[in-house]
Amino acid sequence: MEYNGVWTLGEARDGEIKEVSFELLSRGRKLADKLDEELVSLVIGDGITDEQAEELIKSGADKVYLMNAPALKDFIAENYSNVIEDLIKEYKPEIILAAATSMGRTVMPYIAIKTNAGLTADCTELDIEEDTGNLLQTRPAIGGNILATIKSPNHRPQMATVRPHSTKPAEKDESRTGEIVHLKLDSSLLDGRVKKLGFRKNEGDAVNIQDADVIAAGGKGMKKGENFAMIRELAGYFDGAVGASRDAVDRDWISYPYQVGLSGKTVTPKLYFAIGISGAIQHLAGMKTSENIIAINEDPDADIFMVSDFGIVGDLFEIVPELNKQLAEEVK
Amino acid sequence: MNIVIPIKQVPETSNVKMDEETGTMKRDGVESIINPLDLYAIETGIQLKEEYGGKITVITMGPPSADKALKEAIAMGCDDGILLSGREFAGSDTWATSYALSEAIKEIGDYDLILAGERATDGDTGQVGPGIASWLDLTLSTYTSKVVDVNLVDEEVDYTTTEQDSIIVERMVEDGYEKLQLPLPALLTVVKEISFPRLPTLRGKQRSRKIEIPQWNLGNLDLDEDYLGLQGSPTRVVNIDHPKVTRGGTVIDVREDGNVEAAVAKLIDYLKSKELV
Amino acid sequence: MKYNPVTEEILAELREIVGEKNVLTDEEKIEAYSHDETPAEQYAHMPEVVLTPNTAEEIAAVMKLANRELIPVTPSGARSGLSGGAIPEHGGIVVSVENMDEVIEIDYDNLMMVLEPGVVMNSVNEMLEESGLFFAGYPMSVETCYLGGNIAENAGGGKAVKYGVTGRYIMGLELVTPTGDIVQLGGKRVKDVTGYDIKQLIVGSEGTLGIVTKATIKLMPKPTQRVGLLALFKDEETAISTVPKIMTEGGIIPTSIEFMDKLSVKTSCDYLNEHLPYQDAGAMLLIEVDGIKEDVVNSDSEIIGELCLDNDAIEVYVADNHTTRERIWSVRRNIAEAFKVVSPHQSLEDIVVPTANIPKLMPYLDQISKKYDIQIPCYGHAGDGNLHATLVKNPDHSMEEWYKIEEEALVELYEATRDLGGTLSGEHGIGSKRKKYMEMMMSPAELNLMRGIKKAFDPNNIMNPGKIFDMVD
Repeated sequence: MEYNGVWTLGEARDGEIKEVSFELLSRGRKLADKLDEELVSLVIGDGITDEQAEELIKSGADKVYLMNAPALKDFIAENYSNVIEDLIKEYKPEIILAAATSMGRTVMPYIAIKTNAGLTADCTELDIEEDTGNLLQTRPAIGGNILATIKSPNHRPQMATVRPHSTKPAEKDESRTGEIVHLKLDSSLLDGRVKKLGFRKNEGDAVNIQDADVIAAGGKGMKKGENFAMIRELAGYFDGAVGASRDAVDRDWISYPYQVGLSGKTVTPKLYFAIGISGAIQHLAGMKTSENIIAINEDPDADIFMVSDFGIVGDLFEIVPELNKQLAEEVK
Repeated sequence: MNIVIPIKQVPETSNVKMDEETGTMKRDGVESIINPLDLYAIETGIQLKEEYGGKITVITMGPPSADKALKEAIAMGCDDGILLSGREFAGSDTWATSYALSEAIKEIGDYDLILAGERATDGDTGQVGPGIASWLDLTLSTYTSKVVDVNLVDEEVDYTTTEQDSIIVERMVEDGYEKLQLPLPALLTVVKEISFPRLPTLRGKQRSRKIEIPQWNLGNLDLDEDYLGLQGSPTRVVNIDHPKVTRGGTVIDVREDGNVEAAVAKLIDYLKSKELV
Repeated sequence: MKYNPVTEEILAELREIVGEKNVLTDEEKIEAYSHDETPAEQYAHMPEVVLTPNTAEEIAAVMKLANRELIPVTPSGARSGLSGGAIPEHGGIVVSVENMDEVIEIDYDNLMMVLEPGVVMNSVNEMLEESGLFFAGYPMSVETCYLGGNIAENAGGGKAVKYGVTGRYIMGLELVTPTGDIVQLGGKRVKDVTGYDIKQLIVGSEGTLGIVTKATIKLMPKPTQRVGLLALFKDEETAISTVPKIMTEGGIIPTSIEFMDKLSVKTSCDYLNEHLPYQDAGAMLLIEVDGIKEDVVNSDSEIIGELCLDNDAIEVYVADNHTTRERIWSVRRNIAEAFKVVSPHQSLEDIVVPTANIPKLMPYLDQISKKYDIQIPCYGHAGDGNLHATLVKNPDHSMEEWYKIEEEALVELYEATRDLGGTLSGEHGIGSKRKKYMEMMMSPAELNLMRGIKKAFDPNNIMNPGKIFDMVD
C-alpha cells in the first residue's frame, strides 16, 4: 500500500501537551502543504482531553490521533515503540517527525530499526525535494562544523528528529477545524519488562536549558562555583536559565544538566550570554545556532568573539555586576 | 556480570581552533581518540565488573587503525576487544551500524549488560545505542546518569525463584531524573554524570599492547550482506555544507580605558535594539 | 646616578627619529608599559615616553640621543616577564620592539631561521608546522612572549631537560649597544671560538647590555610522538630520588620531568575536580618523552614507568593521546591558577638547586609556611632542579602584613636555597624583583666583574638601569 501523510509525534507529560509538539506542527505543516497530504499529530499519554487536542488542530494538524491509557502515562521506550510501530503498519505515514528530546531520540531509533526506516537525528532544516517528493533533512554534524543534508530515497516512512527551539511553534488559527481520532490501546502491545520506580524533579533553578529563551552561561573564567551567583542574577532579569561550559562543569562549580556543548546539551535560545567562556569548538557546537550571542571575556583573542554579535573584552568581575546593575534599573 | 561496550573512534576536536579566514574548523593534524562520551560507559563497566565480577568486551566498527581505541579501553581495565573491519561496512549509517554491531554482540553471546556512550561527538546522532537494543530486543535506558542498584539472582541458592536479574538506574530527562528498573540483559546509554573515567595505568598499557584484537567481518561472521554498508543504509547524504560560523559582531575592549559603564550601556542599547530587554 | 627628564625638545627629536606615530606619550596608552607579570602595585613604574621603532638604525639613533642627554632606556617585549625586567624603573624612554616582528629568513639547508625580536614564539612553531621542524627553546608563556624577551631572559620552560634553554639555540645576534653602535655577533656557524662569545653574554643579560634587533636561531626536527607519565609517590623524597635514575639507570633523557608537591597536587586537583587518587600521593612526577618513532617512544616510557614502580611509585598513569595528555598536564598547568583562587597575591619564585637536594628543601618550606602562616606550594622542573616555590598570601593577613611577611619569608627561603647549593633564579631572571638578594648569593668580586662588564657596554648606565644589580658610582 502507498505511504501517505505527514505525522508529528506530540509529547505530553502529566496530561499536558509540551511546546515542542507545536513546533513540530509548524515544520509538518510546510511539508504536508508541499506534498499536498494531510498532517497528523499523534499524541500518546494519559488524560489528554479533546480540548487539548483541539489546540493541535488550531496549530495546523488536520487530524489528531489520540491514544489515552493509564499504562501510557509514563514514557517507557518499549511500550511507546510497540504502539507507534503498530500504528505505522496500519496507517503507513510517509513522514514521521519527532522532537530531538530524551523521548524522541530514544523511541525513534528503536522504531526505525523495527520498520527498516531511515532516521536522521536532530535536524535543523526540513524540506521536500522537488521532483522526487523525498524529505530533505539537514542537520549539523562534527560539532556543527558541517551541515549535512540527508534523504532516504527507498525507505518509508522517512523519519527525523527535530532540534527543539529550531523553529517557532505554529501560529494558532482558531477557525481551523479537523478530526480527533481516539485510538484504543491494544494491551498486547505493552511490554511489561521495564518498570518506572519514580521521578525526581530538578532541584532549585534547574529549568530545562533547552526550553529557555535566554541563557546566561559561565565558564572557566568564573574562577569558582560561588561566582555563578552573578550569572544566576543575570539570567533572572530575563527569566532565563543558567548554563555552563565543560570546564565549569568538570570543575564541579555547577552540575552536568547545565552543560552546553558537544558533550552536553545543544541549545538555540533567542539570547545567549557566554561569560568567561573562551569558545572552544566543544562549546560552540552547543550554542552557535543561538539568535544573539553576547560574549564577555578578558582574552581578546578568544574564539567566542568570532561567533558573538556583541562582545566586551575585560574583567568579567567588573562587567557582569555592572550589567546586572544597569539591567536592574531597566526592569524598574 | 558480563558486559559488552560498543565504542567509536572519533577525531579529537575539543581543542581545535577556528580558521580566521574561512570561519571553519582547523582540522589538520587532528588525532583519533575514543569518543569522549564512551569513556563514561567504559568507566561504569569497569566499576560494575569490580563489584560483581565478570568480563568486559569492547567492540568497535571502523578501519584497522581503530584497534588503538580498543587497546586504550583495555588499558583502562576492559578484558577483550573485537574490531569489526572490512570494506563491506563502508558507508554504514546508524541503521546498518547497529545491525552489524548487534550481530557481533550475538556472536560474543553470554552478556548481561551493554553499555554505550549517549552519542558520538562526531556523528552526534545517539541512534546506534537504542538501535542495538532494538535489534537484540533488549530493555533500554537512554541518558542513564546513575546505576542505583543491581540485583543478581543466585539460582544456586534458590532454583525455584521466578525473579530475574535486574538493574535499577536513573536517567536524565529534560526536567529531572526518572528511576527505572530493567531486567537483564539490558542496554544503557550513559551520560557524563554517571562516572569519572580513570586513566590507563602502565600495567594496563603493557597488557593491552600484548593483546591480540580479532578482526570480524563477512569472512568470519554470519551477516546479511543486504544490511551492510551503504547498500544496507536507508539514509543517503546528498549534500555537505561548511557553514561560516563567524559573525564579526561589535567588540568593545575596556581593559585599557576601563570604561565598563559605557561599554555595558552600549550592550544594553544593543539588547534593546533587538527587543531583548 | 641622576637622569634627565624627557623634555618637549627631546620628544621632537624622537619624533624625527622614529616617526610621529611611533612615539607614545598618552598616559592611558603608556600605562601598559609600566608593568609586566609581577604585581603592579609593588613593581610598576611609568615611563615618560614609549617608542615603537621599526629598524635597528632608529634604535641606534635613540641610544645616541639618550647617551647625550642621560635619559634611561628600557627595552620592552611582550611584558610577560616575571622579574620586572621590562619595567622602566627610572622612567625615561621605553623602546618596544612590537613593530619589529618580521621573519627575515627560513634557511632549511642550515636548519636556521633569522627573525626580528618582536616575533611571538608560538607563531614561529606554527610557521614551521609543515616543515617538520621546530624551535625548542621556549618557555611556558609561549603563546604571548617575544623572541627578544626570551633571549634577554634566557628562558627555560618545561622541555629544558632534553632540549636545554633558549641560549642553546641562539646562533647569532644583531645588537644595538647602549652607546648606539650596531654590532653583528655570531652567525650561522655551529662552531666559533673566534674571540669572546659576546652573544652568549647578551643572552640572559635582561636588556642591560643592549637591544637585540635580529636573531639567528637553530631549528630542530619536530618530534611527532609524545607519551606522558604521571607517577604518584608517597613523599617528595621518593619522587625526587627517582629523577636521576631515569637518566642513569634508564639511560633515557625525557623531554620533561615536572615535580609537584602534596600541596600543589591537592590544590590543583581540588580546583580541577580531578578524581585521581591524589589523596594518597605525597608528591607527583609528570614525565614526558617524545620522539619520531611510536614504538621507541612507547618502550622509553615503559622503561621509565617501570623505574618509577621499582622506586615505590604508588601508581603510574600513561597518557599517549591528546585527551589523557591534556588531563595530566592540566594538573601541573593549573597549580598557579588554583592558588589564585586562594589568594591573588603571591610571590612566584624561581629558585634552582642541585636536583638531588630538592627533598632537603621541603622541610625548610614547611618551617617557613608554619612560621608565617602562609601556604608555600612547590612545583616545577625537577629535571633541572628549578622549582617555582610560591608564597601565597594568607587571606586573613592585611596587605601590610603580607608585604612584611613576603620580605622576611623570601630571605629565609633564599638562605635555605643557598645553603643547599642553589641560587635565586633559574629562568625568570633577577630584574628588579630579586635585585636586593644578589649579595646573598654572590661574592663582591663576582658582582664587581659584572659591574665591570656593564660599564664596558654602558659607560653612562642608561641601558635598563637598576636591574640585576646597582652600579656603585
